[in-house]
Order: sequence, then C-alpha cells, then structure tokens
Amino acid sequence: MGMFDALNFSASGLTAQRLRMDVASSNMANVDSTRGRLLENGEWEPYRRKMVVLGSGESSFKSMFNKAVNQNGNLNGVKVSEIKNDETPFKSVYQPDHPDAGEDGFVQLPNVDPLKEMVDLMSATRSYEANVTALNAAKGMYLKALEIGR
Amino acid sequence: MNLFSSPVMKNLEMALDGSALKQKTISNNLANVDTPGYKAKETVFKQEFERSLNAYRTNQQHFAFSTDRPSSFYVKEQGGTTMNHNGNNVDVDKEMAELAKNQLYYQTLVQRINGKFNSIKMVVKGGR
Repeated sequence: MGMFDALNFSASGLTAQRLRMDVASSNMANVDSTRGRLLENGEWEPYRRKMVVLGSGESSFKSMFNKAVNQNGNLNGVKVSEIKNDETPFKSVYQPDHPDAGEDGFVQLPNVDPLKEMVDLMSATRSYEANVTALNAAKGMYLKALEIGR
Repeated sequence: MNLFSSPVMKNLEMALDGSALKQKTISNNLANVDTPGYKAKETVFKQEFERSLNAYRTNQQHFAFSTDRPSSFYVKEQGGTTMNHNGNNVDVDKEMAELAKNQLYYQTLVQRINGKFNSIKMVVKGGR
C-alpha cells in the first residue's frame, strides 16, 4: 500500500465518473445523428447509444497476488472495463422528405433516450461529488499528519 | 525508560495506521459506487481481548497463543447490507458518515500525539 492510495482511489473514481458524463453528453449530442457509422456497403447507420462499463480491478494480477498472501491490500480503486454499444433497435419515424429516409419513407433514428441519459448524468454527478468529498477528506488527513511533531 | 516507545505512543501510532487504512477503504468504496457486482469493504479493529489471551509459557520454546502482530486491524467485506439491482452494496450515506467520523478521529489522534511530543519537549527543555 502506497502513501497516497486514498487519493489515487478517489482520483480513479473521478476519472471514471467524468468519462460516464462525457459519454452521456456524447449520446445526448447525437440524439438525432442519422449518420453515425459508415457500413461496408456504403450505407450509413444511425448513431448507437454508448454505455460505460465499470470494473473494480479486483481481477488484476496485483489484486490476486495480494489476496493470496493475505495482505490488507485488496483495494484497487475503479477502472473502466469497456465502452459498450447499446444493441437495442433504432427508432423508426415516418419522414419521407428526410435525406436518409428509406424506400418506405421511414428514417432510422439513434436508440438514444434523453430520459435515460439525464438519469445517468445525475448519477454520475452525485458519484463525482462523493469522490471529491472523499478526496478532500484524505487530503486534510495527510496535511494533518504533517503537523505531527511541529 | 522508553521515551518514544511508551504504550500510549504505540497505541496512537497503531490507531493512526488503522485510521489511514480505513480512509483508503472508504475512498475505494466511494470510487466503486457504480461498479456492478462490487462488494463494499470495511476496516475492522481486532478486539483487544484477542491480544491479551497470552498462554502461560513454562519454557521459552513454547508457542504463544497470540502472535503479536504489529497491526491489529484488517479489511473485510461488509456483510448484511442491502444490495442494488446490479449486485453493488455500497451505501453512500453510510460511507459519508464513516468518512466524517474517521476524519475527526484521525485529527484527534494527531492532536493527542502532538500533546505527547510537547510534554517530552517540555521535559527536555527543563520546563523552560
């Protein structure tokens, strides 16, 4: 266990939560993007909603090793495992005058639900705040420790 | 005469170590507040009686019952807390309360250890 581990754990939490916020913002920004990805046949696919998958890093080698030798060190902060695509079907809207409308006049729109994104955003904000509080608390304690023997 | 290794000083040191580890545990829990399947951890102080259980040894080669470990706290998984839909059982309110408590506790310990040092300083200076 290093000296500033508490700060590092909180920092990893801050990074992860900010990434969640970035991804939610990206989803919101692309709520109407009909041209998200170019398919191999030259057609455009609408933007797919992205999701952040978090992991505790307990499966890392360091963590397993610490567990094996039974140390008080099975703490690893948080890490982002992957950014996943939401595979739910696209929304279909009848809009024949749209440049990306199909033969039948329907346009495929991204599977982004603003409501879901707002909930994610709120959750990320709150978690971010909790991590900031923990970081400040740890900082205060380290500063206090410097006062020993003054 | 042991100036710096008095029982009080040793206990304060140990408590400071435990408090620092507790802070790490809380930080880790809060970092993993949205991690699916994460189980909250806590730092527990071992009961004092465990160390007082010393075997009466008639020979130096006999084993003592308690191994005198320098640290008497460890990290374990929290049990019996409510679980989220994603298997995460971090209780943010509880962690925040623990955080505040631990911070005050740490500051108290630092103050006490400073008081101890000041007493020694006073003696060294001959009360001047």
